[in-house]
Amino acid sequence: MAKPKVALYWCASCGGCEEAVVDLAEDILKVVEAVDIIFWPVAMDFKKADVEGMADGEIAVSFINGAIRTEEQGEMVKLLRRKSGLVVAFGSCAHLGGIPGLANFWNRETIFERVYKGVPTMDNPEGVLPQTRTAVAGKELTIPEFWDTVHTLDQVIPVDYYLPGCAPPPDLIMNAITAILEGKLPEKGAVLAPDKSLCDTCPLADSKPEKLSLKEVKRPYEVILDPEKCFLAQGVICLGPATRSGCGERCINACMPCRGCFGPTKGARDQGARSLSFVASLLGIEEEEKMTDEEVEKLIDQIPDPAGLFYMYSLPSSLLRRRIMK
Amino acid sequence: MREEAKVVVFCCNWSVYPGLQLSHSAAPTGAKGLVDPIVTMCSGRVSPELILEAFSQGAWGVLVAGCPPEECEHNGNYKARRRVLLLQNLLAQMGIEPQRVRFESFSTGESAKLGQTIRGFVEEMRGLGPIE
Ligand code: SF4
Ligand code: SF4
Repeated sequence: MAKPKVALYWCASCGGCEEAVVDLAEDILKVVEAVDIIFWPVAMDFKKADVEGMADGEIAVSFINGAIRTEEQGEMVKLLRRKSGLVVAFGSCAHLGGIPGLANFWNRETIFERVYKGVPTMDNPEGVLPQTRTAVAGKELTIPEFWDTVHTLDQVIPVDYYLPGCAPPPDLIMNAITAILEGKLPEKGAVLAPDKSLCDTCPLADSKPEKLSLKEVKRPYEVILDPEKCFLAQGVICLGPATRSGCGERCINACMPCRGCFGPTKGARDQGARSLSFVASLLGIEEEEKMTDEEVEKLIDQIPDPAGLFYMYSLPSSLLRRRIMK
Repeated sequence: MREEAKVVVFCCNWSVYPGLQLSHSAAPTGAKGLVDPIVTMCSGRVSPELILEAFSQGAWGVLVAGCPPEECEHNGNYKARRRVLLLQNLLAQMGIEPQRVRFESFSTGESAKLGQTIRGFVEEMRGLGPIE
């Protein structure tokens, strides 16, 4: 029997998800034995025309990482969708928008102004900005359009499964591949990671007090964290309570609070709102009856960038999706 | 015709709603026809997610009405106050006027004050217009 065909593609991403595939180490040999990789631009020389030449649905599964923010990415993922039986959104950016999704605090105009004119290291006296069409020596050069708004993969094409994480850890990738090969997949639309919160599996959970109250908010650089004690209990915001487990508590084990790259648990419509909700609940609970409005305001203002913090990985997937530019 | 301001009011079942029931009306005196308040079991149960959902479905403003300090059985009013404040800061970063979400407290007998507050809020939202 012919081996199932697999495609891997990247969009607005950093390359870390590609690394994650390589991080399968020896296991990648098992994968290569079981499947036929027919498209993987970062590692192998295939062209778009090779994909176009395939029958619809011929690719068993496409793993697509990165957010969608250019015309080219939109076109490629639509093509892969048509040619694939399954599409897996691979990693935080395809799943939720990820770090590139923070560009939704800006738009094309403001980003271009900054990148091509504003940055101190830019030497661009004529103020040239990228154009989709440019005439050069009697010929026309084209580049894909850069969109105002960064999208999650499922805002552009239907997605069958999600592999969360920045980047997804090797064990979850292997589990997903095994489940696909054995036909043991959960219901469509599922996130292929445990439906528990990070706190449920965190090695520091025992030191998380039952009744937690944050008297003040400290940022990670302002304190030397005790690696053995729940970070929230040390006054540093950790998004573990509103984040899905499955990453192997990577940041926690490196003495860094969670920033939510695994996305929310099942049923949450807006990861940032969920995080905001639990953080606001904990702030100053102990003294809440005595605090004046001004004191509460002061405490709340200790979080200088709530949107950036709570939507660090999920702005494009949020209910508001982007900042409104006036 | 001018579009009417779309305002969502969440009312606490214990402080605000009894007053409304006594007045045999879905909306408090002075605010009839402007809003149909949504009754919640406590202002502390009005999640920020729900408020953002309202905005994403076209609300111009969201008012959360809860108990005054010391009058909430569950201290949910304090939670609501903090959540709305933090949400206001977040909305400002999203390019949305922070005054589009507001927390106000009312005692059981203060149906008239509630009506007045809602009218004022609706008026303010008319001034702002829809989001975008
Ligand atoms: S808040 Fe963070 S450090 Fe504390 S138990 Fe949860 S994940 Fe662990
Ligand atoms: S601790 Fe949080 S931010 Fe870090 S890898 Fe895990 S889910 Fe992602």
